[in-house]
Amino acid sequence: MSLKTALHASTSLIALAGAVALGLFASPALAADPIKIAVIAEAQAIAGASMPQAAQLAAEEINAKGGVDGRKIEIVTYDNHSSSADSVRAFQRAVNEDKVNAVIASYISEVVLALEPWAARLKTVMVTPGAASNEITKAVHKDYDKNKYTFHGYLTSASLALSVCDAAKDLLVDGKHTKTAVIMSEDAAWTKPLDIGYQECLPKIGLKVLDHIRFSPDTTDFTPIFNKIEAAKPDVIITGISHVGVQPTVQWKNQQVPIPMFGISSQATNETFGKDTNNAAEGVLYQGVSGPDLAITPKSLPFAEAFRKKYGNFPSYCGYTAYDEVYYLADAIKRAGSTDSDKMVAALEKTDWEGTIGRIQFYGKNDEFTHGLKYGKGLITGAMLQWQDGKQVPVWPKDVAKGQLKFPSFIKLTAN
Amino acid sequence: MLAFQILIDGFAVSALYALGAMGFTLIFGVSGVLNLSHGAIMVAAAVAAWAAASVLHTGTYTGALIGIAVALIMSFATYFAVVQPIQRSRRIPNEEKEIFVLTGTLLWGIMIQELIAYFFTNNAKTVLPIIEGVVNIMGVRTPQNEIFTAVVCCVVIALLWLLVNRTRTGKVVLAASMNPRGVTLLGHELTSVYIVVWAIYGVLAGLAGVLLGMFLGVSSYSVGPLTASAFSIVVLGGLGSVSGSLIAAFVVGYLETLTAYLINPAYRTIPALLLLVVVMYIRPQGLLGRR
Amino acid sequence: MGSFFKSRLFFISLGAVIIASTLPLYVSGYVLGLLTVAYYFGVFAMSWDLLFGFAGEVNFGPTFLIGVGAYTAGIVNAQYGLSPYICIVLGAAAAVIAGFVLALPALRVRGPYFGLTTLVAVLMLQNFVVVFADLTGGEIGLTIPDVITIDSHANYWIALGFMTISAAILYGLAQSPVGLVLQASGQDAVQAGALGFNIVKHKLAAFVVSAFFSGLSGALLVFYFGTASVGTVVDIAVGVNVIVAAVLGGRRTVLGAALGAIFLIVAGEFLRPTGELATFIVSAVALLVVLFFPGGFLGAALSREARQ
Repeated sequence: MSLKTALHASTSLIALAGAVALGLFASPALAADPIKIAVIAEAQAIAGASMPQAAQLAAEEINAKGGVDGRKIEIVTYDNHSSSADSVRAFQRAVNEDKVNAVIASYISEVVLALEPWAARLKTVMVTPGAASNEITKAVHKDYDKNKYTFHGYLTSASLALSVCDAAKDLLVDGKHTKTAVIMSEDAAWTKPLDIGYQECLPKIGLKVLDHIRFSPDTTDFTPIFNKIEAAKPDVIITGISHVGVQPTVQWKNQQVPIPMFGISSQATNETFGKDTNNAAEGVLYQGVSGPDLAITPKSLPFAEAFRKKYGNFPSYCGYTAYDEVYYLADAIKRAGSTDSDKMVAALEKTDWEGTIGRIQFYGKNDEFTHGLKYGKGLITGAMLQWQDGKQVPVWPKDVAKGQLKFPSFIKLTAN
Repeated sequence: MLAFQILIDGFAVSALYALGAMGFTLIFGVSGVLNLSHGAIMVAAAVAAWAAASVLHTGTYTGALIGIAVALIMSFATYFAVVQPIQRSRRIPNEEKEIFVLTGTLLWGIMIQELIAYFFTNNAKTVLPIIEGVVNIMGVRTPQNEIFTAVVCCVVIALLWLLVNRTRTGKVVLAASMNPRGVTLLGHELTSVYIVVWAIYGVLAGLAGVLLGMFLGVSSYSVGPLTASAFSIVVLGGLGSVSGSLIAAFVVGYLETLTAYLINPAYRTIPALLLLVVVMYIRPQGLLGRR
Repeated sequence: MGSFFKSRLFFISLGAVIIASTLPLYVSGYVLGLLTVAYYFGVFAMSWDLLFGFAGEVNFGPTFLIGVGAYTAGIVNAQYGLSPYICIVLGAAAAVIAGFVLALPALRVRGPYFGLTTLVAVLMLQNFVVVFADLTGGEIGLTIPDVITIDSHANYWIALGFMTISAAILYGLAQSPVGLVLQASGQDAVQAGALGFNIVKHKLAAFVVSAFFSGLSGALLVFYFGTASVGTVVDIAVGVNVIVAAVLGGRRTVLGAALGAIFLIVAGEFLRPTGELATFIVSAVALLVVLFFPGGFLGAALSREARQ
């Protein structure tokens, strides 16, 4: 029986102690004071570990060029042990004790949703580099005056679903005459809107959804799930996984499930994924905003290279977004001429910044996804990559593609 | 062929559960210790096997052996650094030793788990299977690795049975689990019996960990669930009864597989848990418990 | 324990409470927030100690009682919008009922089997929360519309007051004739029974009292956080920390349990700069205390007192 004991939170005293401390607000800093940016990250997870590192890199680059109006940027990092309560406590410490001017936080939607009310209560700008749930921007839209301090620095689930569908149209429907699909996603806050998005857009591009399977993120044995999927006889599995990744991929290969996996698979974006799965990742297709070989903008590859030089490995997707976030936060502070939260919000809303993942603009107060990244051609479209020979090869969109689709022999994709 | 599918998958899962739980119950039978660092030791073995094979490129077999060796070392460390000091402590009243061993091994397990997460991150790892590929059994596409896992588990369980029932050392261990004082009267040092048992435990836990790493994959998050599952199986079978845990492992393994296939993978653990509750009410000593 | 010592302990505790109550005057809101949680946690640990230290029953599932209290309060508030105070009372009542339901069958069995029954109860509650996600918020957690107050000083005083009153009641109970019967039945149930005491009734009473304070504290915590999740009030890891806190502080002392809980939370915070290794270090320190000072903090202090 796999009972979710999760002793990892061991000192869940820590977990319990999402301390609530109000009252002390950061006093306006003097001109020469450093600008402090907090990074609250999942330090023990690969995706999370890149966040503080990338932020640090961006800060050093900005400081080397004289900082922001003479003020240096200082990154303060906190490990949240992937727990909401820990994050809340870290957020409070960052604002009340360490007096940070802005917070970059987490790739887990649950964590960001727990932090959002605190960003409102403590009136502190927060940007997430990796969470996806639509609820984050929906809350900003619904109660703008309260929640306007939260910005969504990564694609929303709805945009992610669109990105996957756009890629599937070109690669599968037009390229391989694929007709049917099964959606396989983990039960989590970010996949609810994702699945809704999938169910809307897949039929539109000509993929019939035969079944829709949601499973607990605690699942370790995926045999029954793959079995059920195979029984439906789809041409492709559309994935929405993040908390799991290595295990389903390895079991997919060990059981030689003859259906390709295509969609969101956050762990597959990690450079170490090939090694973690003993190359079972071969042929896995995943949506990403970044990759070691993916030149979305002129800034992408230089950043990846600089990161690798400094830390010995390529950044995770949160690394790219966190790097961009430090830059456009600095840009907004410069334009606002102040670290006053309300002025920063106003400046951030006018952001038009070419980052490493595309051109960054935020949706406005009256848009459905207020403070979410604008999705679309010329802005951010994301990309589709495939694991081939132990490498992450961009295959979509065409202008950045470096290779053709290639599958291991056990995959029986309807050939054209 | 859903029935065959369930039969085959259920067997592999159950055999793995059995292997994991048997060492656990053996230690309880002989020394009354419930080792809550069990899951951490299994994960440590799997991660060590992964690191040896995939990072140091030692090859699959050497990697697996390194994994088992790590579990053996951990097992001894658990005994000598945590369990023995508590058992010998004069400051802890005898009736409270149980809770101290539980607390101590639990903390020890958390320490191991945190170190694994620190050095290897908490992302899941999978050990390269010794055998790859699939075979078709009655229309069910079965990974050869799954068959390999089941075979190894059965062989090891058989060897354990032979060891306990047919060798001198084994008989002493068996006797110690029934009456520790009687064994000392016969001139056997109880400590050396314990060392033998912890050695057997280390090998079993290591093997189970490595096989699990090959079959399903593990991460530092698996530590808690693994301990809990061994715990439940052992309770269901009757604390200290090796054959009881064997039966319980298969009951739980098949119940879970049936639920996952026929009802919903998300409810996988619930029926087994309900069964556990029912057994606790009707027969608190477990299926084959002696008390 | 001599009455002299008892009074000395009383004065020390009184002094500690007085000092603690003036803390908001000179420490930051952040520290207050930390201690607020520590105090609620202290009540969890003290309730557990009443059951273990005095009734001799190892409850592996303190979070079953805490979780029932916390989730009942949270769900009632989220679904029906009743005032937090009514919700908190309902939460405590639900925990008492849950404690009663669990205790009746659980007390039939002894030793590790009692512990296992309580452990299974936690696992069942956890599954319940996940399966009935529409009601409970599932693994994501339940967002609660109301909080008692967002003023950190007020929250701190509420927690401190609550812990002080709970400590007084639990400690008083432990020292009373009822407590002595419990202690006797914990050590030798047969003999205590032979002396004419109704063991089951006493133990049941201890269980219900423990459930009441656990549930109340859980409900208060929920209205402080503004959220209830498996990870904060149900997970076995939380229960483990309650047990570790009680053992660390000193079993059979009641007050020591609160001390242990405060230590664990504050130490975890001090070690934050060590980042990912903080949990490792806290566990290692706790293990060393368990191995070398099995009496815990207060136990060690008491025995030194006794020797003098």
